[in-house]
Amino acid sequence: MPNSLDLGLPVGRTSSAMAGAVDHIRAARRHLKTMTMAAVRSLDDRGWVLAGDFGLRLLRVLLLLSLWRTVLPETGATSGMTRAAVLTYTLIAEAFASQLTLGTGIELALTSGDIANRFLRPAGVFGQFTAEMVGAGLRDLLLFSLPLFCLAPLLGVNPLPAGVGAALLFACSVALALLVAAALDFIFASIMVLLEHSVYAMMKLRTAVSALLSGAVIPLALMPWGIGEVFGYLPFAALASAPLRIYTGTGDALLLLALQAAWVAVLWPLAHLMWSANRERLVTHGG
Amino acid sequence: MSVLTTVAARWRVQAHLDFMWMTKDLRFFLINVVGDVILNLAGVTAVFLLAERFDGIGLWARDQVIFMLGYAALVRGFLDVGFSYNVLHISRRIGRGQLDHLLVQPQPLWMGLLTEGFMPFSGCWSLLTGAGITAWAVVQLGAGFPVQWWLLFGANLLASCAMALAFSFLWGALAFWAPVAAEEMSSRAVGFLYQLKAFPLDGLSAVVLTGMLTVLPVGFVAWYPSRQLLGIAAPHLWHTPLAALLLALVAGIVFKKGMEHYAQTGSQRYIAWGHRG
Repeated sequence: MPNSLDLGLPVGRTSSAMAGAVDHIRAARRHLKTMTMAAVRSLDDRGWVLAGDFGLRLLRVLLLLSLWRTVLPETGATSGMTRAAVLTYTLIAEAFASQLTLGTGIELALTSGDIANRFLRPAGVFGQFTAEMVGAGLRDLLLFSLPLFCLAPLLGVNPLPAGVGAALLFACSVALALLVAAALDFIFASIMVLLEHSVYAMMKLRTAVSALLSGAVIPLALMPWGIGEVFGYLPFAALASAPLRIYTGTGDALLLLALQAAWVAVLWPLAHLMWSANRERLVTHGG
Repeated sequence: MSVLTTVAARWRVQAHLDFMWMTKDLRFFLINVVGDVILNLAGVTAVFLLAERFDGIGLWARDQVIFMLGYAALVRGFLDVGFSYNVLHISRRIGRGQLDHLLVQPQPLWMGLLTEGFMPFSGCWSLLTGAGITAWAVVQLGAGFPVQWWLLFGANLLASCAMALAFSFLWGALAFWAPVAAEEMSSRAVGFLYQLKAFPLDGLSAVVLTGMLTVLPVGFVAWYPSRQLLGIAAPHLWHTPLAALLLALVAGIVFKKGMEHYAQTGSQRYIAWGHRG
């Protein structure tokens, strides 16, 4: 039976409000389909590569956990964080690394020339990339985050959040982190187009800088000279530090969420502005 | 012309091309320099901040940690200078069929791989960053190291670079059999080494540590040779060169097997239904 949304009726036959609603639903379906495709894409011929990646990530979390056990005392708090809280922070940072450090992949599309195809598709460029990013995050959530979460007690780490409220606010915070990540990605892509700089160099630079400033590797509170406090107000902190502090109950949740929301409000208009200003400069090089 | 003279001549050509490329535009030059320095610093900053905050990490004093970070940055710097243009990330060349571009040249494959990735001007900024960190750490350590120590330092550094290269080639050779799936295999392997190269591995369990020194030899990139050189562990300074030699041997055998397979199947790049069409 044909779906009423796929009848292909001219817009003029319905009321304008109805037509607007139908358009929105169609757009949402397109993005949902894109998310699904992104979620299952790497499982076709790259399943074993994915398994290898997950193995490496597991080793990384083991290494970081051992590092914290070496430097932090078993009891008492260091800069407001107990060793148990830091271990939970580290494990959750790795479990949700894909969600907290997501990129849209726009840089690769720029260098491979795939961006040209994106402009031909019946959906906005921002929407396509964001849907793919969320889809990839869902895949990692099911295949890596949940297994690691279950494995945590064997690693001597309590994976549970500070409370039910913290878990709910964490979900909100991750959603805001995704929005900040996508906006930063589009801003970096615009800068790359503006500077006509190497895609790979820009990607590596962004990954290295955001891993450090976001608090994904080292909690900002444990950085020396109080620089963590300064980093806490930068947009990168909205990517990892904010959700992780909410999860572990080591920060003021409402203040952290407000900061994230403020960065979303600032960065998205900036991303739109920069992309609009630079898209005409876009030159692709092929793969 | 002797082999060494030929290699030197190839390097000179690459150096000239690299210099011309690097100096074509002042803005491009500055962006590259600043980008490389930031990238290499960011790779070691996390551990440095920890060492500063806790005045060392476990058995390692703060300045010893900085020495290890400098050593790790030097390894990356040498690989950037000597094996760019996807020579280090060899699976990309194999997966994309770009190995053919080397095979049609009138020189042995090894010579192409040894010389084609030489980028002394655009790649040296990481190397200089590493040299700066190491020099600073050596001064802070305040130990007058004898000439013999510096020779061992050089040998271990060379071995660490060889270890990373061999590891990348070993995993990258998978692209001979699975060009699409394994095209980015070397990037993953090298990315893993680069991510973890700066961490002290002392606190790991025996099983994981053994894995980090054998299956995934990240320990040999900086941690193991640094602790030997600084006397944190018993000084078995030949361990890293020996491990590098063994891994290079294994990588060479696997790569040769891959080449034999490649001779039968060829590249997918230039056929209509290949993944790059």
